[in-house]
Amino acid sequence: MAIEMKVPSVGESVTEVTIAAWVKKDGDLVKMDEVLCELESDKATFELPAEGEGVLRIIAQEGETLPIGAPICRIEASTAAATPAPAATPAAAPTVAEAESKTTSVTIPTVGESITEVTIASWSKKSGDYVALDEVICELESDKATFELPSPAAGILTIQAEAGQAVPIGAVVATVVGGAAPAAAATPAPTTPQATSAPASGATSYAAGHPSPAAAKVLAEKGISVESVAGSGIGGRITKEDAQNASKPVSTSPAPAKPTAPVAANGGSRREKMTSLRKTISRRLVAVKNETAMLTTFNEVDMKPIMDLRKQYKDKFKDVHGVGLGFMSFFTKACSIALQEFPVVNAYIDGDEIVYNDFTDISIAVSAPRGLVVPVIRNVEKMNFADIESEVVRLALKARDNKLTLDEMTGGTFTITNGGIFGSMLSTPIINAPQSAILGMHNIVERPVVVGGEVVIRPIMYVALSYDHRTIDGKDSVGFLVRVKQLLEDPMRMLLQV
Amino acid sequence: MQFDVIVIGSGPGGYVSAIRSAQLGMSVAIIEKYPNLGGTCLNVGCIPSKALLDSSEHFYNASHHFAEHGIEISQPVANLTQMITRKNGVVEKMNQGVSFLMKKNKIKVFQGIGSFVDANTVQVTKDDGSSENLTGKNIIIASGSKPTILPFMNFDGKRIITSTEALQLKEIPKHLIVIGAGVIGAELGSVYARLGSKVTFVEFAKGMIPTMDSSMGKELQKVLKKQLKAEFHFQTKVTGIENKGEEVVITAENAKGEPVELTGDYCLVAIGRRPYTDLLQLEKVGIETDRGKIPVNEHTLQTAVPHIYAIGDVVRGAMLAHKAEEEGVLVAEVIAGQKPHINYKLIPGVVYTWPEVASVGYTEEELKEMGKAYKVGQFPFKALGRATASGDTDGLVKMLADQATDEILGVHIIGARAADMIAEAVTAMEFRASAEDISRISHAHPTYMEAVKEAALAATGNRSLHT
Repeated sequence: MAIEMKVPSVGESVTEVTIAAWVKKDGDLVKMDEVLCELESDKATFELPAEGEGVLRIIAQEGETLPIGAPICRIEASTAAATPAPAATPAAAPTVAEAESKTTSVTIPTVGESITEVTIASWSKKSGDYVALDEVICELESDKATFELPSPAAGILTIQAEAGQAVPIGAVVATVVGGAAPAAAATPAPTTPQATSAPASGATSYAAGHPSPAAAKVLAEKGISVESVAGSGIGGRITKEDAQNASKPVSTSPAPAKPTAPVAANGGSRREKMTSLRKTISRRLVAVKNETAMLTTFNEVDMKPIMDLRKQYKDKFKDVHGVGLGFMSFFTKACSIALQEFPVVNAYIDGDEIVYNDFTDISIAVSAPRGLVVPVIRNVEKMNFADIESEVVRLALKARDNKLTLDEMTGGTFTITNGGIFGSMLSTPIINAPQSAILGMHNIVERPVVVGGEVVIRPIMYVALSYDHRTIDGKDSVGFLVRVKQLLEDPMRMLLQV
Repeated sequence: MQFDVIVIGSGPGGYVSAIRSAQLGMSVAIIEKYPNLGGTCLNVGCIPSKALLDSSEHFYNASHHFAEHGIEISQPVANLTQMITRKNGVVEKMNQGVSFLMKKNKIKVFQGIGSFVDANTVQVTKDDGSSENLTGKNIIIASGSKPTILPFMNFDGKRIITSTEALQLKEIPKHLIVIGAGVIGAELGSVYARLGSKVTFVEFAKGMIPTMDSSMGKELQKVLKKQLKAEFHFQTKVTGIENKGEEVVITAENAKGEPVELTGDYCLVAIGRRPYTDLLQLEKVGIETDRGKIPVNEHTLQTAVPHIYAIGDVVRGAMLAHKAEEEGVLVAEVIAGQKPHINYKLIPGVVYTWPEVASVGYTEEELKEMGKAYKVGQFPFKALGRATASGDTDGLVKMLADQATDEILGVHIIGARAADMIAEAVTAMEFRASAEDISRISHAHPTYMEAVKEAALAATGNRSLHT
């Protein structure tokens, strides 16, 4: 029987997802839990595992945006598996299994630019264990973070490197011999005749891919070839709806810049479909501009005290905590303290009410490959500097690999964004709704300032606080930013909470 | 005056393309040579012939079938003048309908002969000799066709006539000789046969309606022979037609080369139609015709001049009103930048004889020639409850399907409602349905449509239920 797979519910507020990429092709034989495609919501990316074994029939194409619950593909009882089983003798079963068994090497993936080797912290599976696709089989440690290593295939695991061993990136640490899951293997006979009896629905129809008259017109006007559209109609026919939903496969690799480009006076332009992440970012940012009374207050921070402190304790800190001492921990902690002193900055509007939070969950804006993401550091008020630093590293790495979960990106009460890493001197950040304020960090520039009646050179960072004037008055916003400035210019205050 | 679109000719192709253009927001002018809109189809073709066919059918039923139904009347008399008056009323109503549609869609109607001045200018010459020039960004030629008549046939419009005159006769011919047993000849020949004329067909080909599946022609001939006592001379070549005053003498040669002479009081020449481009002055814009037809781009119907389009009878393909309509819509949409498509293989052909004949897709002869492996499902109307109840038991449905895939390749129907019934086959084939698909779709009982389902069952696996 064919299994129709629908877009799974991936989070409360997510109503639609975009198919970022099909990992498998139409007609591929797929196994249970094998990753079929990558889905992208406005918050994160997900992998869609197969719900059964069989031949994949793609319904929705790459780049299409689908509502939750929409059919995305069908998995049809594999005819290949069914063919050798006229008698359904047990003897036939191993043949099938053998044909399917494939050895996959488990290699150490690249985990970061500067990381050349990792240590196997522990194996969570033993040799001989059956592992599912993407099941975590071991934990790796680098000098910066720890990672989990998922199995690249389903099958029987054979471990080749011991726990505690340091291995270079790319090294083979285990193999997985593919095969059906033990449960399925135990009952091979009954499944085979079942598969045979299932009519080869649609897939082999002579009319598969035939567009209805209206569908043909729609496709012609979109400039999409009929061959690139999967028909959802009877026998795989292309319905008008299929045609309306079809979109041109977007070439993901941008056109390589030609060295002779200057000659092209007219230049070219390139159209790319907005990802749903980008669409959401765009929609939200405009909404915030329209729906809040946003304005920005500025100040400057003399970074000398922090820089001195870092210089003095950087190595010690690393030794003790295993993580570097950056600026983020100072800013995050300073904001957390200030937020508790100016609770309205840490609040948000919900209808006719203002919701005050007694915790400070601070969102950190991170530039990820697919766009801006804002993972949240929770309960900063309870954290020490080392906790904050390691959390920042953990979230930044996940952001880079598009592995952030929805939970990790929702529920912040205040945001810090650092335009300084790109060289920004001054900017007016936009509030991360429904929050009420955002702190913008900028680059640190040596500027002449007057200290004690004398002009001295100091490393100065301009800071900006954009806030929602509907709830936050000037007294609170300016007071908040001044307080942050005080804490940063004299970090001792953070220790003493004064 | 300036327009986005100028349409030359207001037949079903022309006026439909004008409406579609207007729907798409373009300013449209339509030029018609005759005082009435609607072209051949509406004035001297489909509509009036159907009006007369129905009148003659009523008369025939009153004369032959009422008694059997238990309706006793004195011997009915055919009043041809009244039939023609009624037909004229039908045509007038349709004329008004088209005029209303033009007004409703804000299409400017110009009466007169449209001819090219240059690639963007069309001159309209009125009956009184005055003229005016219209300029158009796009021009659609939809000037249609005229009956073909060869010089030696001595056309006089009185006793030697074409379909146009046949719709205006003052008396019922005693013996009508029809040259050509194709669609038009069969339709008009059967009109007069039912009104009591003796009808003799002279046809160069081997059978009636030779372009259709041969089983259709055979069945039609059988019915016309049996019911209307029509006579047939096939594979016979007409060599001369002469009006002798009270009678017409036709000389011909049969397949063996023997001379044939036929004498009647009227001779209807129905050997086909030719594209009517005579007055367009195509040479002014550099468009040349190919055997009378205007060559066009297969997909966009653009002529050699890209903003001049041609549709309907002046271009390749069957001379059918509904084909012209599809092309009219297509051109309007092409001008609007859309990308419509016509599947010419699925334009149904219809003959309004009684019984009607309709067909779509490949004929059995074509499939044989292509070397395609096919299967045939056939179902006769006489096995159908509804046909028996109504007394229309002549005819059959024939379905041709792919031997391997069961896809329907052609459907040919001769029977009481064939012209309407073919629609299901066209729809199914547009979606590339199989014979079994049709046989698994519920068809209401008792209807003529059940014959299509039964033929599909027969094609699926020789398992029709009622034979």
